[in-house]
Amino acid sequence: MIELSAKDLNKRFGGLHVLKDVSFEVRGPELIGLIGPNGAGKTTLTNVLDGAIKPNSGTVYLNGRRIDQLPPFEVAKAGLGRTFQVTRSFRRMTVLENLFVPAQAKGGRKSAAEILEKAMGVLEFLTIDHLRNEYARALSGGQQKLLELGRLLMLDPDVIILDEPFAGVHPRLMEIIYGYIRRVNEDGTAVIIISHQMDSIFSLCRRLLVLNYGDLIADSPPEEVRKDAAVIEAYLGTDDADDDASGVEHKTSS
Amino acid sequence: MKKRHTPHLIGLVLIAFFAVFPVFYTGNDYSYIMHVFITAFFYAILASSWSMLAGYAGQFSFGHMAFMGLGAYTTGLFSHYLYLTPKPTNLCTEFAFGDGYLVIVDPVGVTSSTLAQDCLTKAMAIWGPGVEVTPMPIWIGIVLGTLMGGLFGLLIGLLVLRLRAAYLALFTLGFSEILRASISAEIKITRGQAGIELPHLFENGVTVFGHYFDKTDKIPPYYVMFGLLLACLAILAWLAKSKFGLFVRALREDEDAAAALGVNTTRYKVLVFVITSMMAAAAGAVQAHYIGIITPNNLIILQMSLVVAMAVIGGLESFVGAAIGAIAIEFILEMLRNSFQIGDLTIDMTIWRLVFFGVLLMLTLRFSRNGLITPLIDYFARAHVAQETVAKRKPSSAAEGVPK
Repeated sequence: MIELSAKDLNKRFGGLHVLKDVSFEVRGPELIGLIGPNGAGKTTLTNVLDGAIKPNSGTVYLNGRRIDQLPPFEVAKAGLGRTFQVTRSFRRMTVLENLFVPAQAKGGRKSAAEILEKAMGVLEFLTIDHLRNEYARALSGGQQKLLELGRLLMLDPDVIILDEPFAGVHPRLMEIIYGYIRRVNEDGTAVIIISHQMDSIFSLCRRLLVLNYGDLIADSPPEEVRKDAAVIEAYLGTDDADDDASGVEHKTSS
Repeated sequence: MKKRHTPHLIGLVLIAFFAVFPVFYTGNDYSYIMHVFITAFFYAILASSWSMLAGYAGQFSFGHMAFMGLGAYTTGLFSHYLYLTPKPTNLCTEFAFGDGYLVIVDPVGVTSSTLAQDCLTKAMAIWGPGVEVTPMPIWIGIVLGTLMGGLFGLLIGLLVLRLRAAYLALFTLGFSEILRASISAEIKITRGQAGIELPHLFENGVTVFGHYFDKTDKIPPYYVMFGLLLACLAILAWLAKSKFGLFVRALREDEDAAAALGVNTTRYKVLVFVITSMMAAAAGAVQAHYIGIITPNNLIILQMSLVVAMAVIGGLESFVGAAIGAIAIEFILEMLRNSFQIGDLTIDMTIWRLVFFGVLLMLTLRFSRNGLITPLIDYFARAHVAQETVAKRKPSSAAEGVPK
């Protein structure tokens, strides 16, 4: 069973304490939302989990293997994949080449024909198979987001972290991304979504982690988070707490 | 024949042309034209290997001519200071080697042929005639030069791991200038600006298919340099098609994203430095033996700029484009050497040709950033893509399932 365990993670940048004793566990193919105001430490936490940043203290284990001191490529091979807040496709490489990078980096005994077959399946699933030989720079912003998701599929990770997957995406593509997340999760992959789009987060996720200036202030199902006084105060603001809380309810029900 | 195969066909025709040219060309300027070709092939190796480093991997190093110089000086020093003698000199540092002795000649600087004498010269004067002193085989020097280029490529590759863009360029520029200045300063060993003389590629001549070629004949070095160019292009083609090519292009595009997808960016960054440095060093070693002398001036930044400009004008993201660009530019620069007159005005093209070259570089950068050759290759090689994209477009449908 998939097991991601972060314990007492601390990260400081000079005088800024960005992560403060953050601990949480992911057991099995969960679908988790990671939310918090800007500057809460969400992306830093992602960078610590994927090895791009080393924590000052604390540990991260993935499936029993300690990964917090590994370089990002080792973490990726260990089974943790991530996307970036701003889409980072390999723009001067074709769509297919973008998909071949993680498949070949992962190693294994798959032949080029097998990788191509899988890549074509992924592209069809994401409805961008007709663009397979185009350079990634020719794709729209939304299509590049799909391409980034496709690259993750080629990596076959146990845990994926999606940083703002819905930002600036057309509703039609949003449906495809929803379908992607649900299907990947049903197929046994744990998914952590970072997003400011509350309606998407509340409708998709069965558990929410809430960060506030480095503190993990909530780790609960969405319905509990909605009513959590600390979350409302930190995330939505004390003065308008009642209004904003109802706003969340409204968005979720829509 | 499909349109996309046209570049391959043109490539084969070009290779065939270069392969038979020395046999069929009979002009009065034969030696000169052969020399231009050999120099063009030399620059083609440098430009194509630099395009792998800068165009494919995005590592804008300005140390490529330094690696070329390392190869040249390694084989130069090797052939200048090491000899095999049948008996001990008792004056030099020497080791028993097979039936004779491996002698390391003491460095005496630029005055060795006039005032001061090195230990081997003194020993030979004592021995008198009849004692045969054997220079080291040239091919060993070339191999050592190539390996030295790889070793320094590894070192520089490791040192610049965290440097990107302008910082990498400045670092490698610094390395290049330090090397050149050190060679200039260390007169006793390297003979400074006087340079080191090297034996010719075929010092004792060579016989091929029953035909004897003198050491100054241009045909043997032509085929050696052409062979080296083909070998380098073959290796580059293989690398570009393999996962190496895929990964270095990914790290050029976005190093962090490549690492997040499982690419060991450190390994491939260092590897691309090692491989391309070895190619530059090999070209430098062969060229030094062909010319017969290597001086620090071969490493100046102007030479590096020439290689960069050749690669940029040919096409930075295609090593084939860079190689063709280098050959074409070398020929154009040579053709532009001839001065001409407009009325009473004499246009000295030895100076103005560089202006022409600079203008061509600026126009290329402004209007065709991927060079003049690479877009042509792309035109044929990617002709099918647009049709394919349109033909395969279909209404997006809901996903059926994640492929495994």
